[in-house]
Amino acid sequence: MGMRATGRASARIAPSILALLASAPFAPWSCAWAGSQETEPYLQVPMPPHFRVEATELDGPVFADPHGHTLYIWPFKIMRVGNTGDPKGQSHCTAVKTTESTGYMSPYPGGLELPELDTRPSCTQLWPPLLAPPDAKPVGKWSLIKREDGAKQWAYDGSAVYTSVLDREPGDVLGGERYDNEGDSPAVRRPIGPPADVPPGFHVSNTTSGRLLQNERGFSIYASDADEPTKSHCDAACTQTWIPMAAPASARPHGAWTIIERVPGERQWVFRGKPLYRYTLDSRATSLAGSDEPGWHNVYTQRAPPPPPGFTVQDTTSGQVLADSRGMTIYWYTCGDDALDQLSCDHPSDTQVYRFAMCGGDWQRCLRTFPYVIAPPGATSHSRSWTVIDIDPKTGRRSSGAQPGTLHVWAYRDRPVYRFAGDQRPGDVNGDGYGEFRGERQGYNAFWLRDDYFGRGG
Amino acid sequence: MNALSRSLAVFALLAAGPGSAADATVAYALTNLHWAIYQTPDGKAECPEGFNEGNREQFKKRFPEAATKRSLQATQLQWEIDSWYPTTADDGFHFLEAHGPIALGLNLDGRVGPSDFTSPEGEPGIDNQLYRALGCIKNYRFPDGAIQFFDDEMIGRDPYNRIIVEIAGAGDLVNAPHVQVTLFRGRDPLLYDATGKKVVPGGSQRIDTRWGLRFIRQVHGSITDGVLTTEPADLVYPWAPFFLPTDEYMHAARLRLKLTPTHAEGLMAGYTDIASWYLQMMRSWSTHHQNYGQTSAPALYRALRRLADAYPDPATGANTAISSALRAEFTQVVIVPSSRPDAAALAGRQPTGPYRSPP
Repeated sequence: MGMRATGRASARIAPSILALLASAPFAPWSCAWAGSQETEPYLQVPMPPHFRVEATELDGPVFADPHGHTLYIWPFKIMRVGNTGDPKGQSHCTAVKTTESTGYMSPYPGGLELPELDTRPSCTQLWPPLLAPPDAKPVGKWSLIKREDGAKQWAYDGSAVYTSVLDREPGDVLGGERYDNEGDSPAVRRPIGPPADVPPGFHVSNTTSGRLLQNERGFSIYASDADEPTKSHCDAACTQTWIPMAAPASARPHGAWTIIERVPGERQWVFRGKPLYRYTLDSRATSLAGSDEPGWHNVYTQRAPPPPPGFTVQDTTSGQVLADSRGMTIYWYTCGDDALDQLSCDHPSDTQVYRFAMCGGDWQRCLRTFPYVIAPPGATSHSRSWTVIDIDPKTGRRSSGAQPGTLHVWAYRDRPVYRFAGDQRPGDVNGDGYGEFRGERQGYNAFWLRDDYFGRGG
Repeated sequence: MNALSRSLAVFALLAAGPGSAADATVAYALTNLHWAIYQTPDGKAECPEGFNEGNREQFKKRFPEAATKRSLQATQLQWEIDSWYPTTADDGFHFLEAHGPIALGLNLDGRVGPSDFTSPEGEPGIDNQLYRALGCIKNYRFPDGAIQFFDDEMIGRDPYNRIIVEIAGAGDLVNAPHVQVTLFRGRDPLLYDATGKKVVPGGSQRIDTRWGLRFIRQVHGSITDGVLTTEPADLVYPWAPFFLPTDEYMHAARLRLKLTPTHAEGLMAGYTDIASWYLQMMRSWSTHHQNYGQTSAPALYRALRRLADAYPDPATGANTAISSALRAEFTQVVIVPSSRPDAAALAGRQPTGPYRSPP
């Protein structure tokens, strides 16, 4: 595949995975109109020779190298003290191992020796730069930057491009961090992909329940069960609450997008056979509140895969969280170290020193405070996002299943998930934000599916 | 009462539905809330030794720069462990408690004890040991204490904290021997004037029955000479000062509020559950944020446990709660009738228990 003309396409997830997704009913993810098999349509854009686009379960279509490895950038970010990440046209990810903290996050000083230096990787060991052949030529938004050693590296939209050593198969996005890269979170790496095929005025963003369709200001788009592909049944009274998404006179149907004429001269966008609306009572972006109205649903370009059987959804004082079979809230752990290269420390292959600190200081206490979510014998995953992995609780790292004491635990994005012993009843989220900088920097965060007050999960 | 206030009062009473004045119902939304700290202008009366050190100062003393490189694990992460998993063991740092005979608050136990304060108005027997713990920490002092400021600011700005107090049978708001007080959470922004700073009366509020059932509570009370006093009741209330859903738990909480048709202000006092309070503080305010106004979380935890004066743990005998008082201000609102839960959903609701730390 060489340079391609701009067009529209839809990547595909492997059929076996689709079959599993379709056979995994789970109420919050099921939606009467949106089949879970659909993947996000995207715009074909010029790419370097042999590059491709891979469908992913959580991040939509992403760019991949000729081997199918997902491509990432490291966006420049302003920290509490100083800044890091890649400025446009430069790579700050080097083969030099970082040995001390930078002091980005006050009040702690810089210059502290980082944990487990003997096994600490360099930035490029975790994030191999995507090198270009000497005769490579810029194409579209793809350009070339020169690394310090003289090698050429691909850049996208000016940002240096990398792969992740965590990704094993085409469509993996295991190098990606949690969705929220704002506030006091680390300067994380992000997968890059082609633009979603949505008309002007629409936008798609990642949420824990799927790729949510929004307007250009981030407000959610909805559809009604009562509508037909060629007719809206939302009358004048209805449109006081549900505002039709107007299509301009110049708009033309394409792909999954069609247009209906409500009355002469008043055109409305339709996606996958459903006329689209905004909800007037949404008071914040990325809201799911309109889906409380009977017959109305948020619209996704693709749904997130359902969690394994036995997981539940619980109401909290702020929204909904994923929970275990007893209704106890599920947590994930996020971590980026306070070093120039901002290496992640939330994967079982990373140092566990940070996590052990936030769950009490030693592995035995960690098993009491933030226990792993144990997978039942024989449990299997319905998706690549949810897996069963073997963990040695003494080290927090992967183990062979035969090793004594091994725990078979549920993992999301290849990272274990947890419960919190301070939660006493379903709906408690007492462990949410448990860690440095309210869990944003490193710590435990509830698995939010919907948060009407603080927007978490989106 | 000016013309506007009279009009609003009439509007509020009409909005509550038909009935006699004795049946009148009035509702207020919480607009300001902060821990009641008695302050003299220079602080020397209540904090004669000055103010407490914060985590930055204590970190430097505990982990001084040395010839050998300090490890992040033994310093920064150890401080975080000690903050998230605090103990009562002495760490060698001297904690400065607030002194003096005067404090804000209520007489919670009906007695006058050796540790009690006298109110600025001269009422003896004031129980407020939380003031001893917080009074000499800059974060909690008015007007520039950062936590005090944001705790207060986010009450108004964030609908998660939209506490509504509705008084049924309020009569003329001057004297009513039996009133029923219901606490809800609203789910709408407050109504501000053109400056964007001042909340004005008459705003509408939908009751949050979708996520806020945990905060609904009914208590009995009375109004005497324009002051509402409620009977003690355990209370869980939302207080999220920094974008995480955090709550507080107060045993035997009671309101003493001066009422007008448009505003209510006064105290909410009771025995604050220490584990719940500390969790709310830690989840809301990182070590960095605590440093804004010199809080050392481990030191504060020890003070809270040392000064705890109620609700002993049956197993250990150690007190789990501390007497406390909050200054609260409310502005009149109108509850959207269609959002009101039915009576069955309100009656007999009890709060879930306080937070208990992992073992």
